[in-house]
Amino acid sequence: MDIYHHLGSDFIAILITLKLAIVTCFFLALIGTPLAYFLAFKSKKTKPFIETIVTLPLVLPPTVIGFYLIIFFSPEAVLGKIFIILTGEQLIFSFYGLVLASIIYALPFWVQPLQASFEKIGRDTIRTSYSLGAGPLDTFFNVIIPLCKRGFFTSLIISFAHTLGEFGIVLMVGGGIHGKTKVIAISIYDHVEQLSFGKAHILAGGMLILSFIILLILFYFNKKTVVRVK
Amino acid sequence: MSNLSVLLNGKIGNLFLNFEHHFKNDGITILYGPNGSGKTTIISALGGFINNLETRILFNGNELHDIDKYPPNKRPFGIMFQNPILFEHLSVEENLDFVIKRNQLNIQNKSLISKNYLINQLELNSFLKRSPENLSGGEKLRVVLARTILKNPNYLLLDEPMSDLDIKYKAKILVFLKDFNKKFKIPILYITHSIEEISQIGDQIVLIKNGRKIDSGSVSNILNRSSFVDLTGKFESSSILEGIVSRHDKNLHITTLDLNGQKLVVPGLPGNLNDIVRVRVRSRDILLSSSRLKAQITENELQGFISSIEIEKNSAFSELVIVLKNFKNNRKKQKLRARITTYNLKNKKLLLHDNVFVYVSSVSIDRQAYQSK
Repeated sequence: MDIYHHLGSDFIAILITLKLAIVTCFFLALIGTPLAYFLAFKSKKTKPFIETIVTLPLVLPPTVIGFYLIIFFSPEAVLGKIFIILTGEQLIFSFYGLVLASIIYALPFWVQPLQASFEKIGRDTIRTSYSLGAGPLDTFFNVIIPLCKRGFFTSLIISFAHTLGEFGIVLMVGGGIHGKTKVIAISIYDHVEQLSFGKAHILAGGMLILSFIILLILFYFNKKTVVRVK
Repeated sequence: MSNLSVLLNGKIGNLFLNFEHHFKNDGITILYGPNGSGKTTIISALGGFINNLETRILFNGNELHDIDKYPPNKRPFGIMFQNPILFEHLSVEENLDFVIKRNQLNIQNKSLISKNYLINQLELNSFLKRSPENLSGGEKLRVVLARTILKNPNYLLLDEPMSDLDIKYKAKILVFLKDFNKKFKIPILYITHSIEEISQIGDQIVLIKNGRKIDSGSVSNILNRSSFVDLTGKFESSSILEGIVSRHDKNLHITTLDLNGQKLVVPGLPGNLNDIVRVRVRSRDILLSSSRLKAQITENELQGFISSIEIEKNSAFSELVIVLKNFKNNRKKQKLRARITTYNLKNKKLLLHDNVFVYVSSVSIDRQAYQSK
């Protein structure tokens, strides 16, 4: 991480935070979207069970998830070993460990809005598309995605904003290593601990404004959504 | 020629389905039965959307129940679901293009039905560019129908297509469907609860109750049978008569039909001269008399004899079947169901095999009678 040395440490934390949020959302799209689709249309008996697992990060203290992830990520555990074999690096205290933790922690924020959006367009829409000659992939890309674009938008915004603000899990799994796993939330914590309130003000105020703008965009666009009865 | 046979067996929800039928390969077949009897399930199974039933579907020698070989998007049916859906991210015209784009091969091979033909027939022109969100129920339904037909299917499956439509358009679309069916020789399976719709466009009818086929045959036969009356309830009981158009009176707007030598005057000007026209007469609108009434009280007086009498228990009514006299001595037998009070039956001393005079007011004859052949 040599390029970071020339930049201020807070600026580096901002870059890492943004990178984490973007990479996390990318993987959430790949993993969370099929999961939301499965929950909306396919599962019957397994649905409550899977929904419970997906929703757990919402209710568990981040330290509980962080604790188990440390155990799974450690070089002695299977997951940690595989990562070392593949990359030569440790998963714990690494950026990719952070990504993995963030994916798990933000999963309900991606899945729930999207699942609701899929459920709203309903089975009949999909059956109609099939019966008109469109296959499953064709239907997904040309019917479901365009009809659910607000659901995707909501999932993206909320997951992104949520990942920006992570603290507990990120600290436990990443260790807050400067230039590697130290995100804005941890920087603020450090500044406050060192009583440098000026620096804390800049970061905290920046986060406040950014989160405000992101949520404002979301609610501004969702206000336009006409709720269709029927 | 399309050849469709269906066998469904198993439990779905609370319904035990045990249905087998060989559908005719032309004309319009009605699927009729109470709610929850399995009609929609049959269409869903044909579409490939039901996989927890024992299913056998043979169509032109192909085993369509093989879901790997014939997934829902590769089946030759045009399906209009009970709750018709237009894609709201596309305009009306793009909705039509959606199906054209995905059925190029099908359309090239047959090239039967053009987009313009349907736009004209179903009067879609004024809202082609609009979003489906702003369409009325009737407009939406016409677009869905056009889109379904544009697939150039080998069999059209329509699940209560008219339920959302006002009377004015209903009549128009029924005429369109009948013409379409004749012109393009695409058979139609049609679910409906409306006896009017059955008598107007149905050729064949299959009765279904609790997942089982009760009866099937031509509409004019089945509608006079007790199996049908059992499903509809006595109050809706009616008969279908077939007559040949012998005169149109354009001033009075009435038509005279010839029923094997007897005359029946019906309202409106259906069909052309010498066409066979089908009309529906409600059983409760019929008056019977054992002798000819001196003052003729209605336009129509028919002669027949009583072939059966059923006195209903715990009810004021009796139901009689009258076989109409055939003065032409051809083999065609026309039956009429009459529903009168048992008091009236006893009072007039009507007995089995008695000759009777039947009086029917033209007003009570179904006006939208449709030419059948």
